[in-house]
Amino acid sequence: MNIQRINLGYRALFSLCFIGYFILVAPVAYSADTFKLKPGARGATCLKCHENFKEILKRGYVHPLIKKGECTGCHVPHTSSHKSLLIADTTKLCYNCHQNVLPAKRLSAHDAVVEGNCTTCHASHGSDNRFILTKSGSELCFDCHKDMSTELSKLRFRHRSLDQGKGCLNCHNPHASATSNFLLKRDAPSLCTKCHQIEKLTFKRTHMDYPVADKNCISCHNPHGSNNRGIIFDVAHAAVTERKCRECHEGPPSLRTKLRATELCRKCHQRTVDLALEKNRVHWPLLDDVGCLNCHGPHASKEQKLLKGSVVNVCGKCHADTVQLQEWSINNKDNEALCEPVKKGNCITCHSAHASNNVLLFTQESVNDNLCGRCHEWESHSTHPIGEKVVDQRNKNLTLDCLSCHKACGTGNNKAMLTFGTTYELCIQCHVERRR
Amino acid sequence: MKIFRLIALTLILVLFFLAPFSGAAIKLKYITSIYSDDKGIALEQPEGVACDENILLIVADTGNGRLLQYTFRDEAIELGTIEIKLDQLLYPVKTEINSRGEIYTLDRRQRRIIRLTPEGTFIGDLRPTGLPSPVSYVPRSFHIDENDYIYILDILSERVLILNPEGKYVRQIKLPEKYGPFSDVTVDFKGTVLLLDGVDGMIFSASNGSERFTPLTESLKKYVRFPSSLTTDDRGRIYLVDRNGGSIIILGQDGSFLERQFDMGWKEGRLNYPAQMCINKKGEIFVADTRNSRVQIFKLVE
Repeated sequence: MNIQRINLGYRALFSLCFIGYFILVAPVAYSADTFKLKPGARGATCLKCHENFKEILKRGYVHPLIKKGECTGCHVPHTSSHKSLLIADTTKLCYNCHQNVLPAKRLSAHDAVVEGNCTTCHASHGSDNRFILTKSGSELCFDCHKDMSTELSKLRFRHRSLDQGKGCLNCHNPHASATSNFLLKRDAPSLCTKCHQIEKLTFKRTHMDYPVADKNCISCHNPHGSNNRGIIFDVAHAAVTERKCRECHEGPPSLRTKLRATELCRKCHQRTVDLALEKNRVHWPLLDDVGCLNCHGPHASKEQKLLKGSVVNVCGKCHADTVQLQEWSINNKDNEALCEPVKKGNCITCHSAHASNNVLLFTQESVNDNLCGRCHEWESHSTHPIGEKVVDQRNKNLTLDCLSCHKACGTGNNKAMLTFGTTYELCIQCHVERRR
Repeated sequence: MKIFRLIALTLILVLFFLAPFSGAAIKLKYITSIYSDDKGIALEQPEGVACDENILLIVADTGNGRLLQYTFRDEAIELGTIEIKLDQLLYPVKTEINSRGEIYTLDRRQRRIIRLTPEGTFIGDLRPTGLPSPVSYVPRSFHIDENDYIYILDILSERVLILNPEGKYVRQIKLPEKYGPFSDVTVDFKGTVLLLDGVDGMIFSASNGSERFTPLTESLKKYVRFPSSLTTDDRGRIYLVDRNGGSIIILGQDGSFLERQFDMGWKEGRLNYPAQMCINKKGEIFVADTRNSRVQIFKLVE
C-alpha cells in the first residue's frame, strides 16, 4: 500500500517537473541567448549590409516592425522557400498581422486586397505617404484605374471631392465595403449628404422644390463628373437638362407622374411607341406598369438612349440564361469564330428591343437573307446547302437556315457556335445513315 | 464468392418487389404530330392550343393568323379540319375553350381576348364590365375554369382579374411585389389560382377566395429556362412549358418536382420554343411546338 503511494507521489512529481520544464524553463533556455545572437541580430545587424534601408528609415512613414528593428518579423535570416527570404508567400504574409483588413461580411472588396497584392498600393518598408502608400491621393488609384483617369481628364466638370481631401477615398474605402457596392463608404444619398446640405435653399431650388433628398442621387448625377452642369450624366433626358420636370411630373411637392407607364413616354415619343404597338409582338415589359422604365432611366444615364446599363446587362436582367451562353462563349479562348454582336453583347443587332412582327423579336423576317446575311455571305456557305428550298430532314415544316445548325446567342464551348459539341454529332441529326 | 452472389441476388429480388411502392414515374409517350391543315397548308409558328374533354382540338396557327379546329379520336387526327380566319383575328396566341365550346383566344397584336362561337363565328372582344379603378388593363394571358369563370393576367395594373362567364368583374388578386415578370395564370381542380413568374420560374398560389398570392415553389431555374405557360390536370399536377429549354416540367400539387420531359430539338419528341400545352381527362397532351411549326401530341403514361 505504502509502496503504491510512494509510486503515485513520484509520478505526480515527475509530471509536475515535465510540465514546468516546458512552461517555464524551455522558453528561457532556448531564448536568443541559446543561439548566441549578437545584439541587433533581429534587424540592426541586417542594415550593415542592406545599407539602402538606412535611407528608408528616414522616410516619414515606416513599417512599425522596421522601426522596432525587427526585420525577422517578415524575413527569415538564413533560408526560405519564398522570395526575398520572406517567412510566407507575399500574398499571405501581410494577413499574418492585418487580419481585419477584409471584413468577413462584405458587399464589395478591392481585387488587389482579395488577391493579397498589398504591395500594389503599399511600400512594404516605408514611404513618405501615410499608411506607407506608394503614392498619395487619387494618383495612386489612377495607376491602375487608367480608364477612369483618362475619362476624367476629358470632362468639363469634375466632382470637386476628387481633388480635395482624400480624393477617391472621400467616397470609397480602399480595402472593402461591408455595406455598399463599388467599395463605397455608404450608399447614396447618405454618402452624398455628408457634404451636400439638403436643407439649404440652393439645394431645393436646384431641384425645382421637388423632395429628392431621399432619392438615389446617382440616377441623375455622375459621381465622378460629366460634361453637363451639376455633373448630370452626359446622356440626359432633354426634360431634365431643360429643367422641365413638369412635362412628366405633377407640381412639387408631388413626384407623381402625370400618366402611367408607357403612356407617359408616348406624350413626346409618340412615333416610337405607336410604331411598336402596331407590331405583332410587343416586348411584354413595354406593356406592364413600369413600361419603358424597365430598360430606360427617366432622367439621365451613362449609356446611350438612357439605358439602365449596357445592352447585354439590361437584357440579362430577365434573359440571364441566354446571356450566360454569351458569357461562356466569349470566355472560351478556343472559340475564335464568334459572331461579332455576340462578342460585344449587342443583342439588339438581331433582336428588336421594343417590338417586331417576327418570332423571338427578330429585327428581320428572313434569318438567312437579312439577319445573319447582313454580315455573312450565306449563299457561298461551303459546308452545306441552305435556303428556303432546302427542307430540314428533321422536320418537314422547316427549311434550313443558319439557325438549323448554329445557335446565334452563343453555345459555350461549341466551335463556330454550333448547336452540338462535335460536327459528327451535328451531322448525324439528319444524316442518320452515317451514324457510327 | 458464393456468399456474395447470394447477397447480390437477394438485393436484386428485394429491390424488384419494392419498386412498385417507390412512387409511380410519369412519362409522356409520343403519339403523333400535326403539321398542316386538310389543304396541306403548313402550320407556321403556332403559339396556342386548346382542347376539350372529348375530341375537340383548337390550334392557334399564329404565323398564319388563323385558328384551326381538329378532331382527335383514337390517337389520330381525323380529316375535316375547320379553318377559322377572320378580319378581327390577326395574331392569335394563347387559346382556351369554355364548357359550352366557345373559343377564346388572345390576339397578341391587338392585345385583346376574342370570343368565338364553337363554329368559329366572331362574337366580340371580351370586355370586362364593372372593373374597379384602374379600369385600364393589358391581358398577358388568361384561363377559363370549369365553371367558365375567366382569369386574366393583367400586367398593366398588376393583378389577376376574375370575371364571371358573362365578363362581369367578380374580384381581383394583386400580383406579388418584387417578383415577375409574370407569364401565365391557371386554376386547378380545387379552385386554387396559380401564377407563373416567367423569369425566375417560381409558381405562386392563391387558394379559392384568397386575396393574395403566396409562393408555392422556390425558383425552378435549375429545371426551366423562361417558362411560358402552366396548366394542371384533374389530379392537380402542374405542367410547366419550358420555352427556352424546350421541355415540359411536371410538378406535384404541392409544387414538388416530379419529372422533366423532352429536350430542345427538331425531331418528333423534341420541342423548340414550345408556347402552350393542354391536357384532357384521357391524359392526352397537346403541345404548341412553336419554332418547330407543329403541334405534338403525347399520352400520359404512369
